[in-house]
Amino acid sequence: MAERAIWSGIISFGLVSIPVKLHSATRSKDISFKLIHASCGTPIQQKRWCPTDEVEVAWEEIVRGYEYGKGRFVTMTDEDFEKLPVRSKHSIDISAFVEGSEIDPIYFEKAYHLMPGDRGEKPYALLMRALTEKDLVAIATITIRKKEQLCALRPREGSLMLETLFYPDEIVATEGANLSKTKVTAEEVKLAQQLITMLRKPFDPEDYKDTYREAVSELIDAKLEGKEVVAAPERKETEVIDLREALARSLKRSRGSKAKPNAPARRRTRKSTTGRKAG
Amino acid sequence: MAASGGADQVARVLDQLDEADSTATLAVGRHRVDVTSLDKPLWPEARPAATKRDLLRYLAAASPWLLPHLKDRPVFVTRAPDGVGGKRFFQKKFPDAPSYVRSLAVYSPENKGAIDLLLVTNLATLLWLGQFAALEYHVWFSRVGRTPDGRSLGTDYASSEESVEESRLNYPDFLVVDLDAYLYSGKEGKGEEPRLHRKGFNMVRDVALEVREIALSLGLSPYVKTSGKTGLHLYLPILRDFTFDEVREMARALGEFAAQRAPKKVTLEWAVENRTGKVFFDFNQNVRGKSLAAALSPRMHPSATVSMPLRWDELASVYPTDFTLKTAAEHLALHGDPWADILGSKADLGAALGTAGSESGG
Repeated sequence: MAERAIWSGIISFGLVSIPVKLHSATRSKDISFKLIHASCGTPIQQKRWCPTDEVEVAWEEIVRGYEYGKGRFVTMTDEDFEKLPVRSKHSIDISAFVEGSEIDPIYFEKAYHLMPGDRGEKPYALLMRALTEKDLVAIATITIRKKEQLCALRPREGSLMLETLFYPDEIVATEGANLSKTKVTAEEVKLAQQLITMLRKPFDPEDYKDTYREAVSELIDAKLEGKEVVAAPERKETEVIDLREALARSLKRSRGSKAKPNAPARRRTRKSTTGRKAG
Repeated sequence: MAASGGADQVARVLDQLDEADSTATLAVGRHRVDVTSLDKPLWPEARPAATKRDLLRYLAAASPWLLPHLKDRPVFVTRAPDGVGGKRFFQKKFPDAPSYVRSLAVYSPENKGAIDLLLVTNLATLLWLGQFAALEYHVWFSRVGRTPDGRSLGTDYASSEESVEESRLNYPDFLVVDLDAYLYSGKEGKGEEPRLHRKGFNMVRDVALEVREIALSLGLSPYVKTSGKTGLHLYLPILRDFTFDEVREMARALGEFAAQRAPKKVTLEWAVENRTGKVFFDFNQNVRGKSLAAALSPRMHPSATVSMPLRWDELASVYPTDFTLKTAAEHLALHGDPWADILGSKADLGAALGTAGSESGG
């Protein structure tokens, strides 16, 4: 089944406008996390209630959702927010060119195939060739389904990829891409092949996948490590007695410094109101 | 949940906000609130950007839970007309407020006289504040309300410093602890405070649980909320028997005790550079006139977070950015406000310390 274009618009940078179409290139897959009691390794139990199904919901069935459109959620955390600047544009608006290695794979959220639109082949080819020769990735903003996102554009297998930069709670598998069934002209394919040949080290999608998975599992490791530090401390009765004394001492210190009568706390404060001025 | 205005009024305001173009006059009960520039982004970096409409929607939707936390307390707001990242103003005085906005005359030593401080008593006031881009709502820890424990305290807030000191405003409802991790993510600029990141937040959470245990051992009922930025706020509700000065000293003792128990995690160091790698236990908010962001106040964090009241059993599984202008109201509607009864959970700290002599002689 051919991938339908989900978006069409223009890439703009400087004086150049390139009509393009966007096709989904990936499928997402959830990773669910369990919370572990660090001191004993037992999964924490929490009662979460689903008001629709009227059932208690198990942690395995829960993902963190950010509502990116009405009733639509993506899973993400704060790190992405803080690292991804967002600009309000309705086209694919290129703002900078960076080396691909400067972008931590942890940012990549969703990949799209960018295909030239009507009469867009020439500027499309120019951009792709320039990127390939400079070995650079374009940083841009795009609005998809009314949501502005930062994204990266790079040549891949003879076409441009657009990757939104996001949190990898959604693992993207490249198996879902079916480039041969997207609208690609013979001319484009020929051009793409020429450009790939020009690369000193041809792009290898398998390498890319490995890097991505490694980054995702590193994040999972970091998260699990994080959970381990959460453990309720044991109570220590002897220290509690010390604490009461410490608090009482601090109270005396406070009162002493204000040279107020050393009377019991409650009585004194109640009394103090008797001398108040008329309001 | 008791709410001023009620659910119908909230629903009507939400409908009006949804239908409004960029400008509207909202009917809020019998009041009218003019709102403009509804689609102006105030949290431009949030995903998606949060606009003034989103702020007003949140204030309206959260108002049944938010208003009780503001009730009877002087409110300071942080305004940012150009949104987070733009210029900000900490505003206490509102000379041109409309008739539905209440204020309280409180003696100010700096002004050598009474100044009018803002009280937020109704939804119209909240929306009016939102209209001029009041993004954060800070409240005092003391309040002018009488119940349940303020009957015998003074009510003259305006005459003199002495009259304020004997008034309800000098007797806080809570001992507050502000916890922030000084673990740096590595992305901060020189001199910048640590940013929110997992490791830092986990450490704050760990210390919060420690302080909770200590508080429980004293018979206190500790409450926790996200600050909405990097840390956690712990509120220990107490009967209004102690002045701010006394509560601050007890908070210091509590912090010293926590630092003694967990010296590798807790610090009370005043010099910022000496806090690195630990959680700063800030007892110094327990001062009359100081304030923290109220429970459910939006925060000027890029992600449009709110300061979210939490149940202790959910602390382990949440992250500050889980609760935003877009998500917090729904969370409240589904789960309620775990802080709703905070003033009904006051501990008799004087009695708890009785063994140390503060009441044994009475």
